[in-house]
Amino acid sequence: MLEIKDLHVCVEEDPSEKILKGVNLTINEGEIHAIMGPNGSGKSTLSKVVAGHEAYEVTQGNILYNGESILELEADERAHLGIFLAFQYPVEVPGVTNKNLLRQAYNTIAEEQGREELDPLQFEDHAREQLKLIDMKEEFLERSVNAGFSGGEKKRNEIFQMAVLQPKLAFLDETDSGLDIDALKIVANGINELSGEDNAVVLVTHYQRILDYVQPDHVHVMIDGKIAKSGDKDLAIKLEEEGYDWLSEGASVL
Amino acid sequence: MGKVKKQKERTFLQDLLNFQGSLNGKSKFLDEVRLKGAEEVRNIPFPTKKLEDWKFISLRDLYKDSYELASDLDVEVPDLSEHYLPESKGARLTFVNGSFSAEHSSTEDIPEEVLIGNIAKLAEEDNDLLKEHLNKYVENNFEEDVFSSFNKAFLKDGVFVYVPEGLTVDVPLHMLFVQTVADEKYFTTSRSVIVADKESEVTIVEDHIGLGDNKYFNLPVVEINAEEESYVKHTKIQRDSRESIHIARTAAFVHHHANYESYTITRGAKLSRNEPRISQRAEEVEFTVDGLVLIDGDQVSDTHSVMDHRFSHCESHQLHKCVITGKAHSVFNGKIFVRKDAQKIDSFQENRNLLLSRKGLVNTKPQLEIFADDVVCTHGATVGQLEEDELFYLMSRGLNEQQAREMLIYAFALETIENISVDSVQDLLVDEVHRFTENQLDSKLTV
Repeated sequence: MLEIKDLHVCVEEDPSEKILKGVNLTINEGEIHAIMGPNGSGKSTLSKVVAGHEAYEVTQGNILYNGESILELEADERAHLGIFLAFQYPVEVPGVTNKNLLRQAYNTIAEEQGREELDPLQFEDHAREQLKLIDMKEEFLERSVNAGFSGGEKKRNEIFQMAVLQPKLAFLDETDSGLDIDALKIVANGINELSGEDNAVVLVTHYQRILDYVQPDHVHVMIDGKIAKSGDKDLAIKLEEEGYDWLSEGASVL
Repeated sequence: MGKVKKQKERTFLQDLLNFQGSLNGKSKFLDEVRLKGAEEVRNIPFPTKKLEDWKFISLRDLYKDSYELASDLDVEVPDLSEHYLPESKGARLTFVNGSFSAEHSSTEDIPEEVLIGNIAKLAEEDNDLLKEHLNKYVENNFEEDVFSSFNKAFLKDGVFVYVPEGLTVDVPLHMLFVQTVADEKYFTTSRSVIVADKESEVTIVEDHIGLGDNKYFNLPVVEINAEEESYVKHTKIQRDSRESIHIARTAAFVHHHANYESYTITRGAKLSRNEPRISQRAEEVEFTVDGLVLIDGDQVSDTHSVMDHRFSHCESHQLHKCVITGKAHSVFNGKIFVRKDAQKIDSFQENRNLLLSRKGLVNTKPQLEIFADDVVCTHGATVGQLEEDELFYLMSRGLNEQQAREMLIYAFALETIENISVDSVQDLLVDEVHRFTENQLDSKLTV
C-alpha cells in the first residue's frame, strides 16, 4: 500500500536543516505499525510529509502509494486517495462546526473516489454512529472544530474525524500523548475498531503505553532521521525497559 | 498665516452651500437648523491629511468633484423588495437618495404608542419630540466637525423614532437607505434619531445599499439616546456603491442601567469612514461597538471610534475585525477615554486584521486616555495572515485550497456576526462573507 524509499527531507525554508536522511518503510493493508523514537528524530515530520505538508521538501527518494508516487500531489489530493493524518496539535477553527467541516470533507472525498455523497440527514446518521466510538455526545457535532476543546477532546476529535472519513491509510501523530488512562482506552478502542483488512494504521508515539491496548504488527524505531531498527511488539517492550541509547551507538540522545 | 490660508482646502462641496436654501420653506424649524449648519460649515475647514485624525487617508477623491443635490435628480426607482428583511415586513422606512419613499415603507407592525416617522413630515407638523431631540446628541459628541455640520446644513429627511417608557418593540426596525444609479455625481444625506425612553427596548437595522457602481457622496448621521434601563440594538450594514464615498457619524448617549449594542459591517464604498462616538451619561451602563470590515480592490475603510467613560461602573466592548485583500486599506483608531472620577470601568478593545494580500495595508492605533485609577482596560491589535498550518489541517481533510481558505476567512469573520439578533441579517451577512471570499479567491493570491 505505502512504500517509502530512501526518503530524504529538509525544511523548505532552510535546506541545510535535514530532518529525514534515508527512510525506508513498507506498509501493507491490514497492518498496524508503530513508529517510536526520541524527540526530534523525525517521526512527526515523516507523517506530515506523507500527508503533504508544504513546509518540507523531499530532496531524494520517493513515496509510493499503491505503486504510484504521490510526491507531486497536494494535501487534499492525498486525502482523496484515502490518506489521513491525525494531528499532534489539531487546529482550532472557531465558527465552523465539526459537522459542517466533516460533511464537506466526506463528500469531497466521496466524489473523488466515485462513492455516493451523503445528504445532510444521511451524513448526520453516519456521524452519530461514529460518535459512539469515541464516547462523545451529539453536541460534539455542533461544536466549532476544536475551538475551546481540552487536549483530550482534541485528540478524540481526531479519531472521530478518522472514523467519519474512513481513510485507507491513517497516520496518528502522537494521538496518545497527553491523555489520561480513560481517554487513552477510548482512543485505542477507536483505532482497533477502525483497523481492518483493507486499511492500515501507523501510530507515531513516544510511549509504549498505548501499545498495551493496540497490538502493532510492526514496531520501528526512528533515530536521527532514519529507521534504526524494526521488529515486532517485543521491540517496544525492550525500548520501554532500556530506552533508546543502545540503538544510537553512543550518540547522545535525549 | 497667509500661507496657511492659501493651503486651506477649497472644495466643490462648499459650492453646494449656495443651494442648500432651496430646501427651505416647508418647516421653519428645519430652515433654521440648516441655516445654522451652513454657518458652521463656513467656519470649519474641511479636513486634510495634516490633521492627526485624518492622516492615514486621502479625501482628494471626495474634494476633486462637484456634486448635484440628490433631491434634484429625476430617478426611476426599481423594485426594492429583494432588499426587504422578512422580520421587518411591517417595520420599514425606506429612503431613496435621501428622500422618504412611502411606497416602500410600512410601519403597521410597530405598536401605536411608538412615534415613528420621517423627519420631513414630523418637522412640517412642528413635532415637539423631534425638536427636543434632533441634533442634541450629535452636537454634544461632535464638536467642530465639518461633516456633521454639513449633514445639518442639508438636513431634509430621515428617521425619527421615539419609543415610550416601558415598551418593547418586538420587530426590528429596518431603515433602508437606497442610492440609485445616476449619470450625475450626487450628494446624499440622511439623519436618523432613535430615542428609547426608560425601560424600553428597540432593535434597528441601518442598511445602506447602492444599486449601481456610480459615484456619490453619502453622509449619514445617526443619533441614539438610550434612557435609563433601556436596551438599544443597532446593526449597520454598509453596502454602498463601489465608487461611492461614505462618511458617517453616529452619536450615542447611554444612561443609567441602559445597554447600547452596535455592530457595523462595512463591505461597500470606495472610501468609507465610520465614527461611532459613545457617551456614558450615568453610572452602571453597558455598551458594545463591534465591527466587521471586508474590503478588496482599491477600497479604503477607516473607523475612528470614541468610547467616552464619564461615570463609574461601565462595561464596554469593542471587537473590530477586518479582512483586507487586493490593494485595500484599513484604518482603525479606537479612542478609549476614562474620565477622572469614572472608577470601576471594564473596557475591552481589540482590532484584529486578516491581511490576505501583499498590497493590502493596515493602520491600527488603539488609543487609551485614562484619568481614573481603578479601571481594567484591555486593548490590542493584531495583523495576521491565514496560517499555513490551518490550511494544511483543512486540506488534509480533503478540502481544496479554495474551500479551506474560505472556511478560515468565514471563521474569522463570524465572531462579529453571530451576536446580531436579527436572523435574516445574520444570513445575508454570511452570504456577503461567502461572496467576498469567492471574489478574492478568483484573483489568485499570495499567502
